[in-house]
Amino acid sequence: MSAFFSYLVHGIAVGCGFALIASGLIIIYRVTRVVNLAQGMFAVLAGLAAASLLDAGLPHGLAEVIATLAAATAGLITGVVAIGKRGTHPEASLIATLGVGIFGYALEISVWGDQPRSFAGLSGQLELSDFQVSKQYLLIIFVTLVVFGGLELFFERTYFGKALTACASNPKAARLVGIEVTRMGLFGFTLGGALGGVAGVVLTPLSPVSYDSDMPLFVNGFAAAILAGLKQPVLALAGGVALGVAEAMVAGYAKASYQSSLALVLCLVILVAQAARRPALQVADQ
Amino acid sequence: MTPIARERVALGVLVAGGLAAAALLDDSALSLYVLLLLSAIVTVGVSLVMGHAGQVTLGQGAFYACGAYTAGITATLGGPSLLGLALAPLAAAALAVVIGVPLLLLRGHHLAFATLAMHLIVLSLIGEMTITGGDVGLQGIPRLSIGPLELDSIRSYAYLSCLGLVSVALITRNVLSSRPGRALRALSSSEVAAASSGVAVGRYKLAVFALSAAYAGLAGGIYAFHIGYLAPGSFPVLLSIEYVVMAAIGGLGTISGAVIGTASVVLLVDALSRLATSSGMPSTAPVILSYAVYAVLLVLAVLFLPGGLVSLLGSVRTRLGRRERPFALGNHGGATPRRRRTT
Amino acid sequence: MIAVEDVVVRYGSATALDRVSLTVGAGEMVALIGANGAGKSTLLNAISRVVPTSKGVIRIRGSFAHVPEGRQLFSDLSVDDNLRLGAFRSGDRQTAWIYELMPELERVRKQRADSLSGGQQQMVAIGRGLMARPDVIAIDEMSLGLAPKIVQAIARQLAALNESDGLGVLLVEQSARVALSLCSKAYVLESGRLVAEGASRDLANSCLVESAYLGSPLEEAT
Repeated sequence: MSAFFSYLVHGIAVGCGFALIASGLIIIYRVTRVVNLAQGMFAVLAGLAAASLLDAGLPHGLAEVIATLAAATAGLITGVVAIGKRGTHPEASLIATLGVGIFGYALEISVWGDQPRSFAGLSGQLELSDFQVSKQYLLIIFVTLVVFGGLELFFERTYFGKALTACASNPKAARLVGIEVTRMGLFGFTLGGALGGVAGVVLTPLSPVSYDSDMPLFVNGFAAAILAGLKQPVLALAGGVALGVAEAMVAGYAKASYQSSLALVLCLVILVAQAARRPALQVADQ
Repeated sequence: MTPIARERVALGVLVAGGLAAAALLDDSALSLYVLLLLSAIVTVGVSLVMGHAGQVTLGQGAFYACGAYTAGITATLGGPSLLGLALAPLAAAALAVVIGVPLLLLRGHHLAFATLAMHLIVLSLIGEMTITGGDVGLQGIPRLSIGPLELDSIRSYAYLSCLGLVSVALITRNVLSSRPGRALRALSSSEVAAASSGVAVGRYKLAVFALSAAYAGLAGGIYAFHIGYLAPGSFPVLLSIEYVVMAAIGGLGTISGAVIGTASVVLLVDALSRLATSSGMPSTAPVILSYAVYAVLLVLAVLFLPGGLVSLLGSVRTRLGRRERPFALGNHGGATPRRRRTT
Repeated sequence: MIAVEDVVVRYGSATALDRVSLTVGAGEMVALIGANGAGKSTLLNAISRVVPTSKGVIRIRGSFAHVPEGRQLFSDLSVDDNLRLGAFRSGDRQTAWIYELMPELERVRKQRADSLSGGQQQMVAIGRGLMARPDVIAIDEMSLGLAPKIVQAIARQLAALNESDGLGVLLVEQSARVALSLCSKAYVLESGRLVAEGASRDLANSCLVESAYLGSPLEEAT
């Protein structure tokens, strides 16, 4: 039973990380209709930066915040490249974000080399009835809940959040109403960068990251985002956690090497089942 | 000269040039050349699927791997190598049909993700099965023999790959200029319009998907005999993404675009790694430089040449014997299919 | 309030607007009629600066709201949110007066915009435009796809606002009858050129207006 519980908690924590990546993807997509292939890179950048800053002697908290800001800046730069030029189609922007991600590789290797880095998170465990839960896991879950709560409030309750949604919903009309769509898009990218940064900062203590860790993070985050239909962050939280738990269970009870495959198969089954229920010619939203 | 005659001459020149290159290049250049040709074969398929059927595919590497392993396993189990090569595209196409039936119900980003996931799942399976040699891989694949002829030099594989590319190009041209081909193009601009004109949308999408998989499988089969050794590590996800990049850079939907795009990317990456290794910098320098320059060029190309490199050669291209514009990223068949939400 | 002087708009090598001049004075209701593809929407887009002009000058005194063809609502946002976003520039997000003007919208204020009927959507689109507190509101193809009764209801509201607040209205229509009956002044656009302008009453009877359309002659506007 305690094995099950420990897999569960680990899965939830990792799943929260996926959800954070997913939230960045979703924000960017909601505002600009662009799928950001560099999202994983934001997380890796923040993780590596935090590790270095902590090594240099900066206190916990400050190091993570600076690392997140670095990721947000990376987000802004990605946005400028992807949507800065008027008239770039979302598909072209997608490849542009890939380019930025690859440039990120170059940057990361030149600063940090190609070996994985990590740093110690919250040490110690918390006693929950009979079980021990690592405090880092709890931190991840807490941070995730705060972030998602904030996002929900932002998009549903604030005028600015509605304006951001409007940009993706109908960019032509948004412009007519006076919303500067490109500026909003850049804000979306910056926010997406910050969210990626938070993910990186909380996940790196769990497992070391290096420049090529971005792909697995992206795939899992994308899976969670797709389960949410690239629309509502809250669904991504559910999807991400489900994904994380499924992977943890497979790793724990079956073969570790199958864990990501099973999760992906689950995702595909859900997606195909959803699509099969819709009438043949109804086009899914892009 | 009529446009069609002109095009035939151009094609003839290209084929002659390609064969001449195979004949004249030295061994070190030849292995790059073979890589280029094989990638071009796969990319023609990607360009076909993305440019004409309007679907995003981020998993073509899985079909490449499927073909490679089919050929490799057939040969290592003692079967005739030619059979292995023939089975490679068939196996890949069969895989595409099996996966495609459920997957092609998806569209847009969902489909993109699904193809990416498919690649990862296939990789994982390859890594687990004993028949494929698992993570360690399949070793000692014998050389390809066609009858009494044994292909044991790189040059022979260059000729073979050239032949493969020409065949693939010819098949694609014939498919596109046929009646089903025109139906395909209708598909890419509007599925709803195509369906209401009587086009069996689902069947066509599956057919194109399977055809492009067959191309990738063929290339994979040649690769297996050329290299002699296969491992899951030879087929990373980044490979699938590379094919999309090559197709997009060259210009979606045109055969010449696929070839030009592939050539540009392969030659560029090679040039970059040579440049960096030659100047005596620290060991990570080649990697950093090639990533950085590649990234910058990729971004510049995609932002300023949405129609691909092919569009530089003039916006009017001869394809299907008719004068058409190549598809630009996001702009299929001249009409942007703005997919609206329907709820 | 809006003065368009000799404006030329080109899309590549095609000329969409060829030296078009038009004015909407304070409190005026002006009609711009023409067949499909005549350039009416292009002119509105030029005034909103969505589309650049190659030649000519566009002067706007006061603020201008453009209600685009096909409503173009924010489909996943509610009616209320759509209206409030209309005030993005003006900053005054009070929606009460819109619901007073169009009471049918009050019922559906929390519903998603894409769940509404065509007529309701058109009212939301106009309401969103009005929220910007414009001096002139331009509405592109207001009557498209709407039942005549609904079109009349909306027209009445516009006329009321014109009377009470001096709201300038630029109605862009293929359906000449509605526009000419509502507006005092009219322009006729054909293939990017102005072919007629003047008082609506006169234009309604002229054969130039007839020729701007394919098909049956126009009935006298009442």
